Amino acid sequence: MVKPKTIVIALLAVLIAILAARRLFPSEAREVRKQFDRLSKWVSKGRAESALTMARKIKRIGTLFADPCKFRTPIYSFSGTYTPEEISSYAAAAHLQLAKLSLRFYDHNIQFPEEGTAKVVFTAKLTGTTKMGESIHETHEVECTLRKSEDKWLFTDCEVVEVLKK
Amino acid sequence: MAGKNIVRQFLFPRVTRKFLTRVCAVALFAYLIFGHLYIPLRIQGESMEPTYRSARFNFCWTLRYVFSKPKRRDVVVIRLAGKKVMLLKRVVAVEGEEVEFREGKLYVDGKEIDEPYVRYPCDWNLSPRRVEKGCVYAVGDNRSMLMRYHDFGQVSIKRIVGVPLW
Repeated sequence: MVKPKTIVIALLAVLIAILAARRLFPSEAREVRKQFDRLSKWVSKGRAESALTMARKIKRIGTLFADPCKFRTPIYSFSGTYTPEEISSYAAAAHLQLAKLSLRFYDHNIQFPEEGTAKVVFTAKLTGTTKMGESIHETHEVECTLRKSEDKWLFTDCEVVEVLKK
Repeated sequence: MAGKNIVRQFLFPRVTRKFLTRVCAVALFAYLIFGHLYIPLRIQGESMEPTYRSARFNFCWTLRYVFSKPKRRDVVVIRLAGKKVMLLKRVVAVEGEEVEFREGKLYVDGKEIDEPYVRYPCDWNLSPRRVEKGCVYAVGDNRSMLMRYHDFGQVSIKRIVGVPLW
């Protein structure tokens, strides 16, 4: 008869093996998620952030987007096609106006309709404070398309889904 | 001495078959109850004030609309891409009804609706629009902000996950 301790040890060993395999051989979905993590990290701004850190982060934001990248937002006047440089400069302008900014992504649903293309539906939550002290709370469902180019997943198309239609 | 033993037994239990069965049963029960029936919620934002204040805790009761459809005045939980971030809104009109705002007052099918839950001043004006089939019109109780800063509108019934428990 198998001892309960053996079962626990076996389960732990399987768990460690799975975690190690995931780390050593990252899946495409994990690579896509990493791009979202980077975007979140580089767009967000802390109160005590230095100008140098901010400049470095803003420069990096552009590297996540394809040239050109299409935005479709029914709510804001941001719809259009932008180059990575334009996206970086928009981010810089936003950073200057805001004292604090946090961009978080939740509930990623990643699908690969064809090789080298990923479609991701997720919830984006933007919170922050302007330098005037006003609070910002924005939550939207977003659908993004990413394409693989030179081993890097780049955002090529982003659309804000209108869940509540005025 | 006996108390010390109980504490020790609780913190470092003997791994037996019975213990493992119990752990699995508790985990399964918690997953079913809190993952699917009563989803824990932490309210963030002011759109449902004063009825639901920010930073309060609640649960989403998901079986509320198994045999019925949302009615006017119901407070509902609306999912976005998933269930990690959801919206809390009040149903003000159901399918087939015509909804309108005049000087902050809600009109449904041309009749003014009494809304005791709206405590803050509102001056919204929204031209009449009919709620499509399979949808409801959902608005927050706090309408003190400008209309463009408040997320509200027609939403598909399929996106309604449930109702807050209290």
